[in-house]
Amino acid sequence: METLSPRTNRKFKDIGYYAEQQSNYFLLPFRFHRLNDDKEVLVNEVGDHLVVPLGTAGRIIQRQLSIEEDADLYGDLVAGFFIAEQEVPALIDVLATRYRTKKSFLDQFTSLHLFVITLRCEHTCHYCQVSRVTTNKDEFDMRYEHINKGIELMLQSPSDYLTMEFQGGEALLAFDKIVYAIERTKPLAAKLEKQVTYVICTNLAVLDEDILAYCKTNNVLLSTSLDGPGFIHNQNRRRPGNNSYELTIKGIELARKWLGTGNLSALMTTTNLSLDHPTEIVDEYFQQGFRSIFLRPVSPYGFALKNEKKNKYEIERFINFYKKALHHILDYNKRGEFFREEYATIILKKILTPFPVGYVDLNSPAGAITNVILFNYDGAVYASDESRMLAESGDFTFRLGHLDTDTYGDIFYGEKAQALSEVMVNETLPGCSECAFQSYCGADPVHNHATQGSVWGYRPTSTFCQKNMELIRYLIELMDGDPQTRQIFEGWISQRRAS
Amino acid sequence: MPKYSYPIMLLTLRMFLITHTIHVIAKMENQNHIEGNSIFAYADERLFSKEAIFKCLYWYGDHFHTTVNINDGYYQLQLTTAQEISREELKLFLQKLERDLIDFNLRDMVSKETQNVRDLLIAKAFSNGELDEDPPGEISDPVGFSVYENKG
Amino acid sequence: MIFRAKGIPTGVNDLIVGVITRNPDHHGESLIWVGDEFNYGSYIAHLSCQSIEASIVPTIANIQALDHLSDGDIVSIGQDGIVRTVYRVNSFYNTILATERCNSNCLMCSQPPKDRNDIPYLFELYRRVIPLIPKDCLELTISGGEPTLMGEYFFELLELITRELPKTDIHILTNGRTFAWNHFAERLAQIGNPRMMLGIPVYADYYQVHDYIVQARGAFDQTILGLHNLARYGIRLEIRVVLHQQSIPRLSRLARYIFKNLPFAEHVTFMGLEYTGYTPHNIEKLWIDPYDYNKELTEAVEFLAGQGMHVSIYNAQLCVMPERLWGYARKSISDWKNDYLPACQACSKLHDCGGLFTWNLKKCSAHIQPVFEDVNLLTS
Repeated sequence: METLSPRTNRKFKDIGYYAEQQSNYFLLPFRFHRLNDDKEVLVNEVGDHLVVPLGTAGRIIQRQLSIEEDADLYGDLVAGFFIAEQEVPALIDVLATRYRTKKSFLDQFTSLHLFVITLRCEHTCHYCQVSRVTTNKDEFDMRYEHINKGIELMLQSPSDYLTMEFQGGEALLAFDKIVYAIERTKPLAAKLEKQVTYVICTNLAVLDEDILAYCKTNNVLLSTSLDGPGFIHNQNRRRPGNNSYELTIKGIELARKWLGTGNLSALMTTTNLSLDHPTEIVDEYFQQGFRSIFLRPVSPYGFALKNEKKNKYEIERFINFYKKALHHILDYNKRGEFFREEYATIILKKILTPFPVGYVDLNSPAGAITNVILFNYDGAVYASDESRMLAESGDFTFRLGHLDTDTYGDIFYGEKAQALSEVMVNETLPGCSECAFQSYCGADPVHNHATQGSVWGYRPTSTFCQKNMELIRYLIELMDGDPQTRQIFEGWISQRRAS
Repeated sequence: MPKYSYPIMLLTLRMFLITHTIHVIAKMENQNHIEGNSIFAYADERLFSKEAIFKCLYWYGDHFHTTVNINDGYYQLQLTTAQEISREELKLFLQKLERDLIDFNLRDMVSKETQNVRDLLIAKAFSNGELDEDPPGEISDPVGFSVYENKG
Repeated sequence: MIFRAKGIPTGVNDLIVGVITRNPDHHGESLIWVGDEFNYGSYIAHLSCQSIEASIVPTIANIQALDHLSDGDIVSIGQDGIVRTVYRVNSFYNTILATERCNSNCLMCSQPPKDRNDIPYLFELYRRVIPLIPKDCLELTISGGEPTLMGEYFFELLELITRELPKTDIHILTNGRTFAWNHFAERLAQIGNPRMMLGIPVYADYYQVHDYIVQARGAFDQTILGLHNLARYGIRLEIRVVLHQQSIPRLSRLARYIFKNLPFAEHVTFMGLEYTGYTPHNIEKLWIDPYDYNKELTEAVEFLAGQGMHVSIYNAQLCVMPERLWGYARKSISDWKNDYLPACQACSKLHDCGGLFTWNLKKCSAHIQPVFEDVNLLTS
């Protein structure tokens, strides 16, 4: 309630007059984490961070701060929603709006719909456990009635912006079915006023100009795989003739000629071989004209599953690889090039912006189901891409239903989905609930189940936790230590540079 | 320098000696140490919460079998190696444990102290403004103004 | 620029508001005739530099000069014989002074508030002025004092402008504090004018510094809540930051605070200090040579612009700032208060530069110097 207390005069008062007449302050929810031997980072409930000297959290919590002697820090803490001078802070409604904004990726619910249009492939990549080299279309291509039902479910999503992504096998081996699916979706989506982005994941080996002409007309985006220079790519991605790299590069050039640079992206998968060649892989991406690279760890499904010691070693190797590659990427930036790493960009967006970042693997609630759903070639419905990989090795934990028998409600709100929702929120997971990086990280029950045999997971040995904890810590440390790096990172997250 | 009167100084000195002596005795009995394959650590029940102890020990479960007892006002923590660990490494683990105990206790203090405001925050975040607070402070100029009056 | 003329009134019994004309063929209901000879027609008043013996309409005679008035300008005439210019037809910078009352008392206020209730009078004045403003008027600024202290009159004024001048941009300069009360923001939203934008000052990310600068307890919290309430209704917002000794130390933090907590702002402006009003009195607390805050300003501007926000620098001279900021500098100073130093005449960038406030000629950066083509002394 406002009060009517007119001032007696307009005499200027000094700054001390404007401090709240409070003998002490109240804590707001925040978490902290040791950054290195000198510093720690504080993170508030909406993900804003503040790097401070080691021991500061203790001083704050034990009320050892002095408003006068720690004036700057005290101001930072009040302004940054770490402490407040009232029990319910004056700006709590602003903080609530920010919390809502951060979680607003939920409003749209599932947007990414993966269609495994065929399991057939002409590659025999050694890290792939699902594809088949076969000409048996009847058994390994998605049937028309399943495509129809998948589209029907997709269009029931509350989201106005949908992504329909065709995967394989090698999706282009069933290009006729892709065309069928897109042509069927177009009028239905238009009627419902939903915007659909079409993406084909392909190794580009069987790409031709007819396909590209269709993609161009229908604004279909292509996503390909490039694991690095030829000696790595061809080793990872086996095919008759050992020419996967050459075909990919040829395909990239051809696709760019038709679609423009922006409509073709590439993903890399890190393998044991890659781990020794971070700079070569980064250079390869740069030389091929890419201005971003996504350094993805070896998928847990390539790991010796449930072998904790080996997994830990593998993830340490990956972290070292990642850091070396990241430094090399930063060197390009320091020479004035724009070139960003996508995983860092996702994390940095969570650290530095007030906006929601809906990346499937780093969401809480988890991205599986709430963000992504997968329709397999045989009509089975899975919570994510990883879920169907598990299924290929006989584990059907994350099979949510089947297109022949189940309704939208059965799949998205069924028993399995409900059971999963318990472990999809890292705010309540052991080890995560107190973690300073909670709001930058996510919950991944599928990964937990695959690597640790429990959807809850066990953080001390979790490779997911080891990787994210260290990478997030490292990114904050880099930013804090070097203003130029901070500027480069701020450039990566910019709304202006969407490339 | 604040000026203390003589009796107060005396009292302060006595208090210091008493607490210091208690501290030293406690230390002798409950000194953190390594014995064989085990780390023994102690935490004063009056200072450390149960939640902090367990949340801290959670992170040691990959290397150790852990047990907790309460004895004479102290948590007694025993961490026994699950695999072979060198004595040097054990010392580092003990040092980390001592740090972590304090950190997790601090975290628990924040959790408990901010429970209400955190609940309120989340309730507000998922409400439609019906829980909004009245704005703070005064708004008027010297002439007199109220946001609830119709004409200025 | 002259906004006020005085003469000897005859037959002025009430406030008169009308449009200046010297064209004898021009007749209309709200016209005020300017000329030494009276032109018979339907005028509501007559202004003259000569003495007038007898007149059939209210008259102000013996005015020293009337050259400052153009045909089409709108003036008010009071019983005291004062002719005030309230709208200048040939200017882009027309301001409605809503009130001189204010609930803040900023250290650097350029128009110090007055503690008397001028609102009924000013509302009545503008109620009559607004319908006379040409319909092609591009922009009107509503300023104060604090305009929202008009209460319901504030909204009525805006409704009148919206009705009479649907093609005019309305720029309201307010401290935003009243909008902390949601019903105030909701009431503004009901006006539903998409050409309306509110310019609201935020001087620091930390309440104590902001409250000190605006000399009002609780102002920061109210302003931030106000901004959020306004954003909730999609009202267009500009954040205004005045650069001086008190705001510079936390400027970089403020930029980040704006991006995180006020990302809905359509425009963020950083403004040089005006040496007028309260400023000379408080100059010891406020002055910092703009050259000496280039580092802080560059960081703040480039951070916000880098995140895709629209950023401008007002009241600043190109030669004082690094060349990388030139693209953000605007010629923002209203024509009638805009000037340059003698040294500026030799500058190759004179026409791109916003120059100075007339009253800043005596208090400006020590680093103002002509920029010569191809030789920039500051790029190194």
